[in-house]
Amino acid sequence: MKHFVFATILGGLLALPAQAADYKIMAPAAPGGGWDQTARTMQTALQDEKVSSSVQVVNVPGAGGTIGLAQFVNQAKGDPSQLIVGGYVMVGAILTNASPVTLDQVTPIARLTGEYEALVVPAASDIKDMAGLVEKLKADPGAVSWGGGSAGGTDHITAGLIAKAVGVDPTKVNYIAFSGGGEALAAILGGQVTVGISGYGEFESQIKAGQLRIIGISSDERLEGIDAPTFKEGGVDVSIQNWRMVAAAPGITDEQKAAITADIDKMVTSKTWQDALATKGWANTYLAGDEFKAQLSKDIESTSAILKDIGLVK
Amino acid sequence: MDTFALLAQGFLVALEPINLLYALIGVTLGTAVGVLPGIGPALTVALLLPVTYKLDPAGSLIMFAGIYYGGMYGGSTTSILLNTPGESASIVTALEGNKMARKGRGGPALATAAIGSFVAGLIATIGLALIAPWIVKFALSFGPAEYFALMVLAFMTVSAAFGDSSLRGLTALFIGLALGLIGIDLQTGQARLAFGIPDLLDGIEVTTLAVALFAIGETLSIAATPSSGDERIEPVKGSVWMSREDWSRSWKPWLRGTAIGFPIGAMPAGGAEIGTFLSYSVEKQLTKKPEEFGQGAIEGVAGPEAANNASAAGTLVPLLTLGLPTTATAAIMLAGFQQFGLQPGPLLFTSNPQLVWGLIASLLVANLMLVVLNLPLIGLWVRLLSIPRHWLYAGILVFATLGTIGANPSAVELGILLAFGLLGYLLRRFDYPIAPVVVGLILGPLAEQQLRRALAISQGDLTVLVHSPISIILLTLAAAAVIVPLVMRARGQGKILSQLAGDED
Amino acid sequence: MIDKDPGARRRPDRAALVIAAALAGMGVLIAWSTHSMGGAGSYSRIGPTAFPYAIAAVFLILAVWTVFAALRNDFPEREPQKFGPVIWIVGGLAAQMLLLNIVGFSIATGLLFAATARGFGRGPLWLTIPIGIVLSFAVWFVFSKGLQLTLPAGPLERLI
Repeated sequence: MKHFVFATILGGLLALPAQAADYKIMAPAAPGGGWDQTARTMQTALQDEKVSSSVQVVNVPGAGGTIGLAQFVNQAKGDPSQLIVGGYVMVGAILTNASPVTLDQVTPIARLTGEYEALVVPAASDIKDMAGLVEKLKADPGAVSWGGGSAGGTDHITAGLIAKAVGVDPTKVNYIAFSGGGEALAAILGGQVTVGISGYGEFESQIKAGQLRIIGISSDERLEGIDAPTFKEGGVDVSIQNWRMVAAAPGITDEQKAAITADIDKMVTSKTWQDALATKGWANTYLAGDEFKAQLSKDIESTSAILKDIGLVK
Repeated sequence: MDTFALLAQGFLVALEPINLLYALIGVTLGTAVGVLPGIGPALTVALLLPVTYKLDPAGSLIMFAGIYYGGMYGGSTTSILLNTPGESASIVTALEGNKMARKGRGGPALATAAIGSFVAGLIATIGLALIAPWIVKFALSFGPAEYFALMVLAFMTVSAAFGDSSLRGLTALFIGLALGLIGIDLQTGQARLAFGIPDLLDGIEVTTLAVALFAIGETLSIAATPSSGDERIEPVKGSVWMSREDWSRSWKPWLRGTAIGFPIGAMPAGGAEIGTFLSYSVEKQLTKKPEEFGQGAIEGVAGPEAANNASAAGTLVPLLTLGLPTTATAAIMLAGFQQFGLQPGPLLFTSNPQLVWGLIASLLVANLMLVVLNLPLIGLWVRLLSIPRHWLYAGILVFATLGTIGANPSAVELGILLAFGLLGYLLRRFDYPIAPVVVGLILGPLAEQQLRRALAISQGDLTVLVHSPISIILLTLAAAAVIVPLVMRARGQGKILSQLAGDED
Repeated sequence: MIDKDPGARRRPDRAALVIAAALAGMGVLIAWSTHSMGGAGSYSRIGPTAFPYAIAAVFLILAVWTVFAALRNDFPEREPQKFGPVIWIVGGLAAQMLLLNIVGFSIATGLLFAATARGFGRGPLWLTIPIGIVLSFAVWFVFSKGLQLTLPAGPLERLI
């Protein structure tokens, strides 16, 4: 019996490479979240468009994606069939968690989608625009409470950047962290905090219903379909995008990288992908190659500076 | 069209034979997956949701509603029969329900759970249809200070309800509180008690702890205790159906449980399990047979089960009217609704009335279908207990670990499961209560975060905690929960002492 | 409430003293870990260290209380335990944990199944291991193929 089991194991191990999936995408988050949905949408698009015959999604949740990233860097090295989904949140998480692996250790392929941060106040608030908020903030930073996601996340970073841009000490920002999933939204609607800051999608239906007033959005230019001035128009020189990306394993050759980039490019231009973006309300901020790499290192630099200013990273 | 015409139209669609068939399939699938130990409603819904995508919107909605209710009820079944709750909201059900099952009263326990869930689901769904806007307004008036007061109330009533031995009850509670500290602090981003292990940065998963303490701890304890081998569990003693006395002891807890669960479920930061804790405490206070609590009191199953289902319907209030998912299950439902073209939010009731009322009608139909399907099956479910123990517990461990692996296939997570399984065994060995550990893990972080949020918003001003009438009322109730039993005990001491003396033989 | 064997009951409860020591150890550990973390200022008076320190203090109080309870023999009487079954089941869980990502879900979980059955006195292993693997494989098939749950695949799972 033991021999039989052993033989099965051995046979299976030998058969392994021949039956490996075309792509194996790691979503470094639990099923259901944004990265997981991105990975699964990629899976559908790559398969439906016949770019790849078989795509497998693996979830490795934990610590803002850094657990998955560490596993990916260690196990996927040199394997061109493995991809990882990630995003801007990872940049901050790597710094605050003092992660032993960083995004420099993977091969970035492309930025896929992105969402901009929106700054909102309850409809009844006396703050009408960005200037009103800045005035309050300068008068007494502690009196302005900001409701958003967890400390050190994109929302917190954006709040810190705004304070810094208008000359207020970022450590004085009275940031109230709520666990995700709309708890912050409830506190904003209930008037418990002064301003709310989060991805635009979180607030969209309330803004349209007139229960929240949007006083700024973190994009460089005004966005179609969103009636809101940018932070820059409001006199605050801050722009930030909460993006999601796909990266390949470390140590792959340039040819392999080019092949993967071509596949992703095919996927992004496909109808399946475009339709999926539309139904999910994701903005297409596709950016590949060296441009993305440059953008990434810029983001890492500014994020690490602001996290130090806020006092989250020593 | 007015509300009732829309609802009637929803019913017409939901009651079409093909849709009834979908409801039946949904309830069956949901129960079948939800009944597996370690797989709670959130995972059940997540797993089965794709099944519904292939149908038309009406059909998929109704099948989804069936899966949802089936998954919830399936979780209670294993809690009662096998003492292995797959999620935190059915822990309280296991307390009394499993004691009943061991005395051969698994049938009535399952029946009161099913009918209580139905009654609560019915009332709460009607409540959702009629008073959702007001409930939402009430829920939004809760700020951090009010939530903190609610948590204090929950702590006080829970420790009063679980405190058979104050030392062991408190120790168990504080073990839970200590476990709740582990991970990244939400307010400052600093890691606490993680000891440099990255897997601990996200804290201890409540489901992992519950499955480990209950399912694995229970298995170890039964395997290790020689006398448990002689104790033969009779699946059925007496009637499998509820007696007249069971009915008269159940209906009030059903209604009270509904009244507690629905508003708490509607609160964006309430948590479904808090309603079940409060309901259990209330029933323990009000019962005419307090000596039965801890030994299998039917009120302790009826109330919390009703509260659990009512709060599940309550979570639909913020979900549908604000687009706020407040539980894991609700987050998955939100993803599901989006697939059906429902965009939850303040405009939903006006922009998409057909779908909303269709959903509400589907929920009601699925709820009814669940009772119709499951009451006759109770006789079959209790037969689970007649499976030989070695196969039964081996199977329980397979499914308990399956739930954990499915959510996070990492060796570290399984290691945590094993460590807490051993903790559960040791707690049982030395007669510590189990439930307060999980209660501490759930309530501790909530209370801490809300207190710190409240004080940060007020910039350190402590009076914010008693600023609103709601907090004052809740804190007064919390104080009463501690003081009243003390006074009663002091007054009735003579009587109880004489009773004790009479009991001694 | 009447001692059946007064001689045995008068001795302090050793196991309970061990528990007291463990509780005290927990308290010290929490306090030490919190101390080494250092605090960050915020607008709240209560920072991230307040709750851990409070809980650590309560653990020390509970430890002292447990010592008294142990000396007074307040703990309920315990049945002697069989440790063989515990070792089998814990071994099964440990084997599953270590082998899961190497041999896949079915084989690892099949071993857990057989070890648990063995813990409850059901053998022989040459029969229960295959039963466990077949059952786990069926579970894997239903959840992985039917419901798209990602469960670790090993050689057995790759056969299909």
